[in-house]
Amino acid sequence: MFDFIVDHYNYWTYIGLMIIGFYAMMTKRNLIKKIIGMNIFQSAIIFFFISSSVKRGGVSVPILEDAHGHAAHGMEHGAHAVDVMQYANPLPHVLMLTAIVVMVATLGVALAVAIMIYRKYHTLEEDEIITAMGGRD
Amino acid sequence: MRTPSIMIQVLLAAALIYGTLDMPKWGDPHSPAASHVSPYYLEHSIEHTATPNVVTSVLADYRGYDTLGETTVIFTAGMACILLLKRRDKS
Repeated sequence: MFDFIVDHYNYWTYIGLMIIGFYAMMTKRNLIKKIIGMNIFQSAIIFFFISSSVKRGGVSVPILEDAHGHAAHGMEHGAHAVDVMQYANPLPHVLMLTAIVVMVATLGVALAVAIMIYRKYHTLEEDEIITAMGGRD
Repeated sequence: MRTPSIMIQVLLAAALIYGTLDMPKWGDPHSPAASHVSPYYLEHSIEHTATPNVVTSVLADYRGYDTLGETTVIFTAGMACILLLKRRDKS
């Protein structure tokens, strides 16, 4: 039981972060707080993917050693094969690099829209904006 | 307003935690994510791209078209920000 918790508590941490972000997105009435919640949500997903690239036991970042300079020629001798267990899984890192770019893009557009809403209605509270728009209360 | 949303959060958390019960152990070197595709990139990255940093070689070489599309995303977001934040002349 204790081993099970030790092997899986990282997932539960990310679920906690994700729930915090989702709660902020659902219940907060301030638009900036909603945007912060969206960022926490995205960060939780990024942590989840990065944690899936971890390998236990003397693992380093996926930068191959003895590969600088004449790397392409070195393979012709066939001297060293890459020890896969020595390096972390590179693919989650790449995918999350892409996801971070999308996250920054959405954050920028969301903040720009928030600024436009503030210029027009002079408030960022959602219910006041809806009232000012003449919609439902 | 607040109570139903808390119930949704609790249900979502319970479903997600139920989903993690089948997930591989943290740091397991033989997990499915680390055993099918990624060894290929680690083994052949130098041979194909002559780049020691595998993340760079996957991002800029194997997935080069994806990165090109990503620049489109950045460009679109930047243009949207500029168009939204531009001071309009009083007409």
